[in-house]
Amino acid sequence: MGMLPSGLPDIVGDDEEVTRFLTQSSHYNTVMPRPAAFLPDPKSRNKSVFRCGAHPERIREIWEKTTNFQQTLKAAAVCKTAEVRNAGVDVIAKEPPDAHANIEGWPWLANDPELQKAKQKEIAAVIAQKSALVML
Amino acid sequence: MPEPVSTTIGICCIGYAAIQGGMRGSSAVSPEAQTVRFAVSAVVERAERSQALFGDKAAAISQLQAMAIECAEPGWDGDEASAINPLAVFIAENFVRALPNFIPLPEFAPEPDGSISLDWLPSRHRLFSISVGTNNRLAYAWLDGADKGHAVARFDGDRIPQRVVEGISAIFSHGNASIRTA
Repeated sequence: MGMLPSGLPDIVGDDEEVTRFLTQSSHYNTVMPRPAAFLPDPKSRNKSVFRCGAHPERIREIWEKTTNFQQTLKAAAVCKTAEVRNAGVDVIAKEPPDAHANIEGWPWLANDPELQKAKQKEIAAVIAQKSALVML
Repeated sequence: MPEPVSTTIGICCIGYAAIQGGMRGSSAVSPEAQTVRFAVSAVVERAERSQALFGDKAAAISQLQAMAIECAEPGWDGDEASAINPLAVFIAENFVRALPNFIPLPEFAPEPDGSISLDWLPSRHRLFSISVGTNNRLAYAWLDGADKGHAVARFDGDRIPQRVVEGISAIFSHGNASIRTA
């Protein structure tokens, strides 16, 4: 196993927590993040996350290093990598920026975009269900 | 729900208070008069119920529109999300209006492809999420304890597909789940 410029291992371990920054209050409620918070971007076909755990100060530190400051960070959804993988997708380290990773391996069906979306929603719902919400 | 809403509006316009007042003050006792009183009473009751319902739906649609405005520019998520599509907003509004009375109103969330997610989240273990995009095929997924699944349904703009109604009802059918958690 190699090391990345950030000092993190190049393979994201099952025990690591991955964090999705939430800039929309409609992407969470008082109980949990919503499935839409984890749906993949159709252009990159993945979901951007950071390997910064659930500590609010660490989350803010990474956010401030990587944001363009056009959005306000409101909360974060934190999920164990093993839970993401159990949902049927993978977490792959992708630096720079430091500590960045992507949730990859989403289903893409060129001939049926709605069925593709339904499959993605189910995966996103499972990840959301397993995620902790950190208010910032 | 076009019929009850138009009834409400009609009653409001022609004198809702007058009808109510007429009912309360009536001393008519003939069978014909009693029939009229019962009929008027039923109309008023229906109108009041519709007004309350329309009020909730109007509030939900206002939330939807506010969210659409907030996400009207690409990159609203700090990444590469597309702007919310106005056609998706239009279809989502119709979907909310078409919801049967016994279905709780959803919460809304923007999706990275410009679609709108309508969510029912009675608990962490039970949720139903439907995606409204720019056509009449709606993707949805649900979690219900250990059970989960996904499917696609067609929405004609007036009637919520029965499978969707049954799916939403099912996740609220356990215990005393709170209707809206946000």
